[in-house]
Amino acid sequence: MPARLACLSVPLFPLAARLRSEPDLKGEAVVVCEGNGNAARVLAATRPARKAGIEIGMTLPQSRAILPRLVARPRDPESERSAREALLEVADAFSPRVEDGGEGIVYIDLDGIPALARGESSQLSAVNCQLEPLVTRHSSLVTVEQQLGRELIIAAEKASLPARIGIASSKLSARIAASLAQSPTVVPSGEEASFLAPLPLARLAPALEIADTLERWGLATIGDLARLPEGEVASRLGEIGRVLHATARGIDPRPLEPRLPALSFSEGMDLEWPLLTLEPFLFVGNAALERLMRRLESQALACTRLEVTLKLDPDGCDARAIALPAPTRDVKTLLTLVRLELEARPPGSPLAGFTFAAHPDRPRRAQLALFGPPALSPDRLATTIARLASLLGADRVGSPRAVDGHRPERFALARYEPPPPPVFPPPGKTGRGLLAVRVLRPPVELEVIVKESGDRSVIAARSGELSGSSGSPRPASLKTRASDAVPHIDGAVRVAAGPWCMEEGWWSDSPDQRDYWDVELSDGALYRIYRDRRSTQWFADGIYD
Amino acid sequence: MRALQALALEQFLAGRGFAKKPNGMLLSGTGARLLRASDLPAAAASSGALAIHSPLDALLGFAGSKLVEIVGRRSTGRFSIAVAALASATGGGQDAALVDLGDALDPEAAEQTGVDLTRLLWVRPRKVKEALAAAEMLLATGFRLVVADMGLAPRGGRFVPDAAWVRLSRAVAAQESTLLLLTPYRMSGIAADAVVSASGGRPAWRGSARGPSLLAGLDARWTLEKLGRESPDRSAPLTLWCFPPPKQESFLDHPIPLRSRCDLPMADRPAALLAH
Repeated sequence: MPARLACLSVPLFPLAARLRSEPDLKGEAVVVCEGNGNAARVLAATRPARKAGIEIGMTLPQSRAILPRLVARPRDPESERSAREALLEVADAFSPRVEDGGEGIVYIDLDGIPALARGESSQLSAVNCQLEPLVTRHSSLVTVEQQLGRELIIAAEKASLPARIGIASSKLSARIAASLAQSPTVVPSGEEASFLAPLPLARLAPALEIADTLERWGLATIGDLARLPEGEVASRLGEIGRVLHATARGIDPRPLEPRLPALSFSEGMDLEWPLLTLEPFLFVGNAALERLMRRLESQALACTRLEVTLKLDPDGCDARAIALPAPTRDVKTLLTLVRLELEARPPGSPLAGFTFAAHPDRPRRAQLALFGPPALSPDRLATTIARLASLLGADRVGSPRAVDGHRPERFALARYEPPPPPVFPPPGKTGRGLLAVRVLRPPVELEVIVKESGDRSVIAARSGELSGSSGSPRPASLKTRASDAVPHIDGAVRVAAGPWCMEEGWWSDSPDQRDYWDVELSDGALYRIYRDRRSTQWFADGIYD
Repeated sequence: MRALQALALEQFLAGRGFAKKPNGMLLSGTGARLLRASDLPAAAASSGALAIHSPLDALLGFAGSKLVEIVGRRSTGRFSIAVAALASATGGGQDAALVDLGDALDPEAAEQTGVDLTRLLWVRPRKVKEALAAAEMLLATGFRLVVADMGLAPRGGRFVPDAAWVRLSRAVAAQESTLLLLTPYRMSGIAADAVVSASGGRPAWRGSARGPSLLAGLDARWTLEKLGRESPDRSAPLTLWCFPPPKQESFLDHPIPLRSRCDLPMADRPAALLAH
């Protein structure tokens, strides 16, 4: 049995790609033009425009004369490229062997797929299949292929592309079947010639001079040509005529040429008018990101890095990359990150176009344990971290890490990638009941009155002679130096314990040398304060709580 | 019949020496691993309750997901209990999150307290509104424990609408999580399932009478002001130590409360404390 092919065809592809980028124009009288100024000619028109009398090939002024409120758009290569990729991805979801047939045309190898679908749907046993009459099997295969074609149409509509399907045993027959109004059209195997016979000869798209010759011969349909002797046609029209005759008989020797899967995903469009403000761009960008994430979702992928390329007006380009803490497909998060990035570094010129390119990665997956503690969904966790990073900044979300050193205010942040939960829950244990310290970052500068051995109170920050005598003077009262400091600290010291010396980086130009004290104030609060030996300033860097 | 088959299998395996394997492991290696159901460890979180710290657990005495607000001024042990809760959760293999408005966590000290830092997500918002939004996101993600520390004195905190707290409460109930809310004053209104007020923080010192040389710990009293729709007004002492004593098991349930400096005359204080 010959291989079965499906042709996925999007009619009026430049228009369909444009409407995919600007869905608000659906239902309007829209034309896509090629060329500049008054010389621009209509390349494709929507149904309302065609009903109003606009035809392909008209100039734009002619079209506007017929329909003054006509919406005209130039061809957008970026939109067409995105639509082409999206169409290929729809096909990829059905078969691993897919050929890019050009503008809005994709061929899909259906080898094995209908049988698989039929096996899933009908659950027919092998014995029943053998006993089944040949005609019944043949009709059931056609039914399955029609169902497959309908699913392909639905999948293409989800990608915002109105597609038609033709299924046949050769590329040509499948393409012609896809160009018919009734979709999906299934040409049973071996019936290609009879399917093509009643169709007009123009469906074979012969060369102009050949078409004139055939018209002079009085041939109107493909069947008329197929009925002529092959040798006679070849002797009069040459090799082109022989190939055309074979095509008319449904013979298409061209094999399927599968393409390699795309490694990058991108969406974008050229804007009709340059955008000056951020909000309209985000509005347009939201739709592009949604399309991009749908494409990633169809491949079970997520975005791990988003590259934003802005086409500036009148010329120039601004490219930037947004690294994500974890693969995600959350459009809201990505849009927020784009907004923050553009707010932080505005492009400086109006935007004439943009492209979002997503670096795909597999979303995090984890096996849930049956008995262990519940684990977080990796996908949801990645989305949450990305949203938190966009809300607070990437440096304010992560897993804390201790830093080698003595200064308590130091810390490091690592990416939050928790290990999988244990298979069995460890025995429950409560906290150890240790007193913790709230670290004050940055340390709060204090004005400290110290009490020397002779009960003489001295403002420590103003007494340079105390810098070397760390043992005898004890803090007697504290007060934050700035009136609006947070937290505000003010009170007499009831108990003070210390000092403990801390030295770090003695080998460097600016070593840290601190004398630490634990002090209890009159209001009962416990503070950890220190005196910087170099500057003789006092600071509070922690509250026991 | 099935019981008899299981018994026969058990006897057969016992005869082959499989039962002597550690943890009751019947089969091991690269294939499947079989365990007797009776050998499975008891599920610690079967009741849904999170063990935080013995006195506080006894005080709250509830099971299930709750929004617990801990109110108190400085040096009453609020942050220590939050760190203890994080240590309990992460030590048990659960992921936990800390929304730290005051940017107050010391990772090294937390690690020494028992927090598994690899399982802790540290979020450092700048505003109360950001902190609440982050807490809601984390609860919706499925974190079983979220600690939201509102810092020492959040500016504008009084103007958080009640609806925000109700949303948080519903998120807690929907995800069967626990949200520990540390506030300097009552903020969550009626949304909290339990409100605990911490008061009377009294430091304890060790050292000579003229000048104690070491902070030993903190003694506070925690009062359950609200539990559900009731006001039980139960209270319990809470003792926090600066360093673990030699035997940690006995230290957790220390029979003798640590006496604070205020309880004793100045002259007797150091000797009495050192006697512990």
